[in-house]
Amino acid sequence: MQRIYIHALPIRIWHWINAFSCVMLALTGLQIRYVGTIDVVTFRTAVMVHNVFGFIVVANFFLWLSYYALSDKRVNYLPNLQVARFIRGAMRQSEFYAFGVFKGDPNPHRVTKYHQFNPLQAMTYQALMLVVLPIQGITGILLWNLTGFAGIVALVGGVRVVDTVHVLIFAAFLFFIPFHAYLSTMGHTPLADYKAMWDGYEEVEEGESADGVE
Amino acid sequence: MENDVTKPRWCGWIALRLRAIGVVVCAIVLALGWTVRPAVSATPDGQCLTCHTVPGLEMPLPDGEKLPLTIPADSFAHSIHSPLGCTGCHTDISLPTHPAAVPIIKSRREFSLKMVQACQTCHTQQFNDWRTSVHAALVSQGNTAAPVCTNCHSPHAVQKGVAEAIDTVPCRACHAAIFAAYSDSVHGILRRGGMRQAPLCFSCHGAHAVHVPSEMQGLKDVCLRCHKNAVEEHGTWLPNVALHFNVVSCPACHVPSAHRRVDLVLFNSTTQKAIPDQEGIPNFVRPDASSPTAPPGLDPQTLFTLLQALNRPGVADKTVVNGRLEVSTAVEAHQIVPAESAIRDCATCHRAGANAFQSVVISVAGPGGIPVHYGANKDVLNSAFSIASIGGFYAIGGTRITILDALVVLALLGGFGFAIVHGSMRILFRHFLKHPRQDQSKG
Repeated sequence: MQRIYIHALPIRIWHWINAFSCVMLALTGLQIRYVGTIDVVTFRTAVMVHNVFGFIVVANFFLWLSYYALSDKRVNYLPNLQVARFIRGAMRQSEFYAFGVFKGDPNPHRVTKYHQFNPLQAMTYQALMLVVLPIQGITGILLWNLTGFAGIVALVGGVRVVDTVHVLIFAAFLFFIPFHAYLSTMGHTPLADYKAMWDGYEEVEEGESADGVE
Repeated sequence: MENDVTKPRWCGWIALRLRAIGVVVCAIVLALGWTVRPAVSATPDGQCLTCHTVPGLEMPLPDGEKLPLTIPADSFAHSIHSPLGCTGCHTDISLPTHPAAVPIIKSRREFSLKMVQACQTCHTQQFNDWRTSVHAALVSQGNTAAPVCTNCHSPHAVQKGVAEAIDTVPCRACHAAIFAAYSDSVHGILRRGGMRQAPLCFSCHGAHAVHVPSEMQGLKDVCLRCHKNAVEEHGTWLPNVALHFNVVSCPACHVPSAHRRVDLVLFNSTTQKAIPDQEGIPNFVRPDASSPTAPPGLDPQTLFTLLQALNRPGVADKTVVNGRLEVSTAVEAHQIVPAESAIRDCATCHRAGANAFQSVVISVAGPGGIPVHYGANKDVLNSAFSIASIGGFYAIGGTRITILDALVVLALLGGFGFAIVHGSMRILFRHFLKHPRQDQSKG
């Protein structure tokens, strides 16, 4: 096993703030949408907490964006334009999750500083950080002050359009949060990836990456 | 003319005789008056009052009604119209030809409408205001119950301030139920208690340019005229306060006992006014016309189709739906309670199945801006069609789109289900295959 410093401090801070905030947003989001069915806190409290964590995520997003914009690690979030190679890698990774992991096959991806993510992760995180999260942030800000942004809200088709987009992405996060938390147990020990995101060091086996990229 | 056709000839004969008798009686009374009360009859008004103070004096009219002709002399003497004298308003009457041998008044209503012209001679501003009112609009629609000047202001007993006092405000004559609700409200109680700032009818509705404040956001503006700090005060505890003020009428929270409903107003996006009823809207069902077999009102798809039809290509003025949470009746709208008793629990409206969203009407502008309501199925608020048709009205939780709930449940089940199933399989396979772990990358 080799210890490689992968996750810089700003990214670790961003990640855990984001993780906690997204969980809080999901929980308060459920409370807001299903008040009467879920009554852990009052609607008003849920809205206030939701707004606070929403702004934390927005501010945190800019921390993430600034870091990657100024760092050479931005390559981790750039789309792979070698489509055929990307598809091959994605298929291989899917096969590993679907079958290989049960048989004890090695993970086809090896983490490096400039190649942190396997093809499926890369695709997911690029969509998440560059499209989904910004849209969720924008729709959230519009819903926070509908009269202040009435012109924009009307332009996109009204509050129901804004809210529907917000809820669709909310549903996506409801799927993603447990999904991501579970897949993070697939390191060489169940807590290895959690530990790596805490101290910054990934423990990887020496050898060439099976998805073809170091 | 209708009377001539439907009544037997002897009726007309009797009426003619009665009129002749009236003329003779008046002549006798006048003669007596000149001899008995020379001081009164010395003036022109005195000549008029000689006859018109006789108790029970009235004129039969062609429509069968009787026009009272007795003027309470004391009231008239104390009225602010007294200095004008009789001929100040009754300019067309001259003693030699009065009373006319041939009846010139067809009905009391026609006489009232005619005498409005006398009022506007002096009260031009008030008359012009009245012409913009819902009352005038109803008059022009032929509504015989709609008031003209003399319905509210007794012309021979007008006294300053009478129409502004809670016990004599004229509105209560026609709007008795609403006035009773107002009287028991915090506004009525304070007004009766002597607080001049507490509103009376005209404070909110206008004295002569009477409008319906519940039209669009008018009510909010009316309330904020006195409650100037209301927005700031609500902002200390109410999220999205400006939005709430735009889409929730004040009584919706300040009349806790009221039945609330959603009013979806078909709105011209260019003129910024409700579209008129005359445009002809198909598929509408009046709520009061509903029967056990009648459809439950406009359904979501029909509303969507209707808006598509109104906004067909080439139409410049687009019709949009502006939604507002209102109380169901005008009586309820006046039952305002003290602020500390108003609804403050957000869950009252923001939960599924909230009472506020069980009743939905679609409104267009009737005569004088009085909203005309048509029933709509409450599903218009929760259907996927609502995204396109009523995109401007949404209460989180309360009017959520139900199909999205299925997606939320599926997402939760999918996320946790995958983790549980996949994780269980990993554990089972590792146990049976006795393979060392080799996976290392997170998801």
